[in-house]
Amino acid sequence: MSATSPSILQALSPSDTEDVAQRRALLAEIDASCRGTLMLFFGTALVWLMIGTVFALITSWKMHSPDFLADIPWLTFGRVRPAHLNAVVFGFASEAAIAVTLWLICRLCRAPLMHGWVVNIAGVFWNIGVAIGIGGILAGHGTAIEWLEIPGYATPLLFVSYALIAIWGIITFRFRREKHLYVSQWYLLAALFWFPWLYSAAQILLIMEPVRGVVQATVNWWFAHNVLGLWFTPIGIGAIYYFIPKVLGVPVYKYSLSVVGFWSLALFYNWNGMHHLVGGPLPAWLITVSIVASVMMTIPVVTVGLNHHFTMWGSFHKLKDSPVLRFMVFGGMSYTVTSLHGVLLALRSVSEVTHFTHSTIAHAHQGMYAFFTMVMFGAIYYIVPRIIQIEWPSARLIRIHFWASAIGIMLYIVPLTIGGTLQGVAMINPDVPFLDPNKYSVVTMTVPYLKVRSVSGFIVLVGHLAFATSFIWIVARWIKAARQHQPAPIVSNV
Amino acid sequence: MSVVWILFVSSVIVLPTVALLALRWAVRHGEFKNLQKTALSIFDEEEPVGRMTDRFPGGQRSKSSQP
Repeated sequence: MSATSPSILQALSPSDTEDVAQRRALLAEIDASCRGTLMLFFGTALVWLMIGTVFALITSWKMHSPDFLADIPWLTFGRVRPAHLNAVVFGFASEAAIAVTLWLICRLCRAPLMHGWVVNIAGVFWNIGVAIGIGGILAGHGTAIEWLEIPGYATPLLFVSYALIAIWGIITFRFRREKHLYVSQWYLLAALFWFPWLYSAAQILLIMEPVRGVVQATVNWWFAHNVLGLWFTPIGIGAIYYFIPKVLGVPVYKYSLSVVGFWSLALFYNWNGMHHLVGGPLPAWLITVSIVASVMMTIPVVTVGLNHHFTMWGSFHKLKDSPVLRFMVFGGMSYTVTSLHGVLLALRSVSEVTHFTHSTIAHAHQGMYAFFTMVMFGAIYYIVPRIIQIEWPSARLIRIHFWASAIGIMLYIVPLTIGGTLQGVAMINPDVPFLDPNKYSVVTMTVPYLKVRSVSGFIVLVGHLAFATSFIWIVARWIKAARQHQPAPIVSNV
Repeated sequence: MSVVWILFVSSVIVLPTVALLALRWAVRHGEFKNLQKTALSIFDEEEPVGRMTDRFPGGQRSKSSQP
C-alpha cells in the first residue's frame, strides 16, 4: 500500500484499477448492501422517536400540572420520565447512530456490508431489548440509576445485539478497499470500542455486582457523561466531518486540526463525569481532576468548531439549497455552544448555582437534540435517497421538520437555561422559600419556564410528525417501485 | 471484587494500551502524512470536489445562490 501514484483516483485508492463504471457499480453495491439493514434501523428509530416524544410531552406537562395522569401508575413521573430518556437514547439515537456509522464505514472503506442479515437479526433483538426495557420501566422495574434505568433482565439482549453490530462494523473495516483512514473513521471506530466498555463496566458495577455509596454515584456519572461524550459525540462529529465537506464539495478546512481534535477528545473526555458531583461527598481531587479535564475539552471543541466554521466559510448561502447542510450546520454549531457551555457548568463557582436546576436539563437537551439528533436527521436525509434510489417526496415537509425542530429546541433551551439559572440563584438564597404559592419561591418561579418548555415540546412534535410523514411516504414509494419494477439487481455478498 | 479488578485492569492497562497501539499503527502506516490527500479521500469522479451533492427534492434552488 505504500505505492504512490500521480492521479487523484489512484491516490484515493492505490490498489484500485477499476474504471469509472466499475467505481459507480461499487458505490451502488455498497449502498445496496446496506439498504435493508439501514431501513430497518432508521424505521425503528423513527418509531422510538415518536414514542419518546409522547413520553417527553407527558413528562413535561406533569412538571407544571402534577395531577395530569397522576392516577395511572404506569404513567407517573418517576416512570414516564426514564421511559422517555431510554426511548430516545437507546431506541432512537443509538439506532440512528448505528445505522449512520455502518453506512459511513462502508462508504469510507469502499466495502459493502457483508452478510447484512446478521446485523438485521441483531437490530431486531436490539429493538426487542429496548421494548422489554421500556416496558419494564413503565411496569415499575426501573433501576433508578440515571441513564441505566432499563432493568437488568433486558440489558444482556442489548449488549449481545450491540456486540454483533460492532463486530460487523469492524469486519467491514477489516476488508476495506480504501486503505487510508479519513478522520470520520477514527471517530466512528473509537465509538464502536468505547460504548461496550462503558456499558459493560457500568452494568457490572451498578446492576450485576453493585458497588456501594459514593462509588455508585461516581460510576453512574462516569457512565452517564461518557455515553454522551464517547458514544454519541464521536459519531456526531464523525458524521459532520463527512457530510459538510461532502455536501459542499469542499475538503475540510484544516485536516490536521481534525486529528488534534480526535486525539484530544480521546485523552480528555473520559475524565469529565465527576463535575456532575461538585459539592458531593467525593474526594476533592477526583472532582478537581474532572474540572481540569472539562476545561481541557476546550481544545477538541475549538478545533472542531473552527474546522466546521471555516469549511463553511463562503458557503453559508448554500444552506438555502441543502436540507442536509441545514441540519448538519445547526448540529455543528450546537456542539460548539453546548460544549463550551458545559465547560462553564463544570466550574465550581458556576455549578454551585446551576446544579440540581432545570439549567442542567436544558444543557443535556442541547447536546442530545440540538447537536446529535439534528446531525442524525441530516444524515438520514442524505443516506435514505441514496440507498433506496428514491427522492424525498416533499421539500415542504423537510422545511417544516427543520424549522419546527430548530425553533422548538431553541425555545426549550434558552428559556430553561435562564429559568434554571434563576432557580439556582433562588435556591442558594435563604430568604427565598422553597414552596410558597403566594410569593416568589423556588418551585413557583419555575412554572412559567416549564410551561414554555411544554409549548416547545409541541413544536418539536410538529417537526417529528413532518419527518415521520416524509419517511412513511418515501417507504411507500419504495415498496410501490419494488412491486412495479423487475426484481432489484442481485447484490453479491462479499 | 474479582470483577472490579478485571475492570480496573482493563480500564487502566488494556484500554490505554489499545489507544497507544492504534496511535503507533497510524504513525507507521503514514496516516499523519500528506493530510491534505486524506482530506480529499471522500471525493471521487462520481462526487468530485466542487460539486454539491445535496439539494431539496425537486432540485429547487434559491435565487440568491444561483451563479
